Amino acid sequence: MPNEKKENMIEKIMNEPQPIPRKVPDYMRSKGGGWFWTGAMVMFAFLYEVITGLILLLYYEPSSAYASTEAFLSSTPFGSFILTTHLYGAYAMVVLIYIHLLRNLYEGAYKHPRESQWLTGVLLLLTTLGAGFFGYSMSGDVLSADATDVGRGIAGGLPVIGNWVLGIFFGNGTQLSLFSRMLAWHIILVAVIGLLFAVHFFMAEYNTIMPKREESGYKAPAIDHDDGSYKPWYPYNLVYMIQLMLLTFGIIIIVPSILALLPGVPPLFSPFPQVSPTSPLAASIPAYPPWFLLFVYKELDFQFAQSLTPFWATVIFAGMPLVYLLILPYVDKSSSLKMRDRPITVSFAILGTVYLASLSLWGALTPGIAIANWKVALFFFLPGIAIITLTWVIADAMKKEKIHVRNAPWAFATMAIMAVSAFGSGILILADIRSPSLLYTVSMILTLMVTAISAAVVIAISRGIFTQRVEVYKPMSKNAYTLAGSGFTASAIFILFEISVINPDTVFKTSLYAIGLGVLLLIGGAVLRIYRATIYHE
Amino acid sequence: MNGKNDADEPVDKDRRNFFKFLGVAAIAAGGIGALRGVLENVSPPITSAFSSFPTLLLYSQAGKPIGTSDLKVNNSTIVLFDYPLQNEPNFLLRLGDSSNNDQAIDPTTVTIPATGKTFKSSGGVGPYKSVVASSAICQHLGCIPPIIHFYPPSSSSYPGKVHCNCHGSTYDPYKGFAVVTGPTTHPLPNTVLAYDSSKDQYSVTSLVGPTIYGHSSDLSGGSLLPSSTYTEITTLTPTS
Repeated sequence: MPNEKKENMIEKIMNEPQPIPRKVPDYMRSKGGGWFWTGAMVMFAFLYEVITGLILLLYYEPSSAYASTEAFLSSTPFGSFILTTHLYGAYAMVVLIYIHLLRNLYEGAYKHPRESQWLTGVLLLLTTLGAGFFGYSMSGDVLSADATDVGRGIAGGLPVIGNWVLGIFFGNGTQLSLFSRMLAWHIILVAVIGLLFAVHFFMAEYNTIMPKREESGYKAPAIDHDDGSYKPWYPYNLVYMIQLMLLTFGIIIIVPSILALLPGVPPLFSPFPQVSPTSPLAASIPAYPPWFLLFVYKELDFQFAQSLTPFWATVIFAGMPLVYLLILPYVDKSSSLKMRDRPITVSFAILGTVYLASLSLWGALTPGIAIANWKVALFFFLPGIAIITLTWVIADAMKKEKIHVRNAPWAFATMAIMAVSAFGSGILILADIRSPSLLYTVSMILTLMVTAISAAVVIAISRGIFTQRVEVYKPMSKNAYTLAGSGFTASAIFILFEISVINPDTVFKTSLYAIGLGVLLLIGGAVLRIYRATIYHE
Repeated sequence: MNGKNDADEPVDKDRRNFFKFLGVAAIAAGGIGALRGVLENVSPPITSAFSSFPTLLLYSQAGKPIGTSDLKVNNSTIVLFDYPLQNEPNFLLRLGDSSNNDQAIDPTTVTIPATGKTFKSSGGVGPYKSVVASSAICQHLGCIPPIIHFYPPSSSSYPGKVHCNCHGSTYDPYKGFAVVTGPTTHPLPNTVLAYDSSKDQYSVTSLVGPTIYGHSSDLSGGSLLPSSTYTEITTLTPTS
């Protein structure tokens, strides 16, 4: 398969159709195999979004966006279930995309032959954030109004064609035009996601799922070769996929349904729309965009960004990382998949995570507060220098075999967490000094603890204290499986009965129904896991 | 096909079937549970604009209550008002005989051919008991004025009848808008009027007979009228 001729991938796919879906080795389905299916989980979240989104489409009225959203929540049976899980399904999709992206970044999955597959993946991230932005803005609440204003400011700042682009995305200025356009763009972008996903998926099937790096001796191209021992796709992989789907759906349904029952969930993570922008209470809610765009929002607060216009500030802060991701596979052409041989890529990945998370945290803590240039410089250069140097030193030491870092991906990932929480505690210390409050003090202590724990974990991982357990397949006894499976299924039927008699007349009862349904789906996943363990010995 | 593991242990068919049952039952439980939410969600809740019929004064477009003299006997112009919701036009007719003298309309029993059931028509109001009203939406397939309208007794075609030019349904306004010829199988819903003789004002109070065409209830499925005290009359010229 490594390119004998210079045919492009489209030609190859058409001329030599590959068996789809491709068989996969057993280790991709056993413990820890979930890491090979982060993309599949994104797909399931997308599927969930399409289903709930089409239901919402039956009810959404652009002419009265906020009123129709509120009516759907309060007076349509199971409305709060569909709306809150649609929101959290989108959140899950964004989070899973970041996980998928970071994993492939650390593993070097973007390298030959998966360059164009990576490219479509980055475009999928972009279209997903875009669809998320429009979807979030459609509720017509005060947060959506704020987010729309920022979006308008950015789009309108485009040189020469700014007003034209503004009109295309946000309409002619009337509320009806605005919400009709946002509904249309939300759906158009989802259609684009669907198409790009199809391309991404066919490329993934063509290039095979990237096997464990040791299979190819830590060298690109890492291609999975079926040695004839692979189990057929049906039923083994199908059952596994259904298990993953039930798991993804279950989590998407349970999380917002629990949050819906809790009082005082902060606006950023509340599963419900906030008050209408015309309400007197609107002033008490900070102007937040959706959390996954907080970083864009914060960079507009920088002192020099304010002289740049929002458009150019976004080009610099969101455009540069995007360009970096797009050209990465065409620049980093080395064949080694080992992290120690790629300190630049690895340190940029850590740094990118740190910047993204810290900027978001900053945006959440100080929404709309201008930041002086020297602070911005400090924010970017200090962790930049520290992380690049540190990664370089560690990589060099590893190469010279002075130290052995076991579980390097985990060590690097924990380093990112450490840096972000260190930044968070820094801000909180400053805030606590300026205006002492219990909330700040408690959060400060918490973030300091996270920093300390993650530092300890980094050291522990690097020194091999968490030794890799030898993977031995130790099934429970047959009878234990039978008992567990029967117990799960019996409780599933009991829960089904419970949620079938709940009268969904309040958000509270609807949330109870949704929690029950989420648990049902998780039970389905657990029973499938048991089924695979007992019958397939996986 | 998958030698190494299955070889250790012979396939126990009962066991496999039992676990299959467990898996299918657990997933089916999830599916049924989800289906309930989705099915109940997609059918739109009926939002009733009113719990009972509102009483509205009939206003002219000048913004004043109309009196008997504002209504012409056997008017060939179509006079309409919306009731009880927007986009629900009703005919307002002052009926007379062939020499255009007011004719008193007595309540009568009207049969609904589709069901065989009957209802008591509302009858005329006003000083001469000659003013009647009905829904102006044809009960056959929902055509609205000016395609459906009243032909005065002097007209050469359908004299003294309400006729719909869409498919030819004909109703008799003198007999509670009963069906004269099909294809309709329902009379027009009678709009009940009240007359205040001391002020010479007309008001509309309710509907009797079949439900307005295309509605599951007369009180739902539309937007509220702009006013909760009056409804304005509009006029249209018949097309044929």
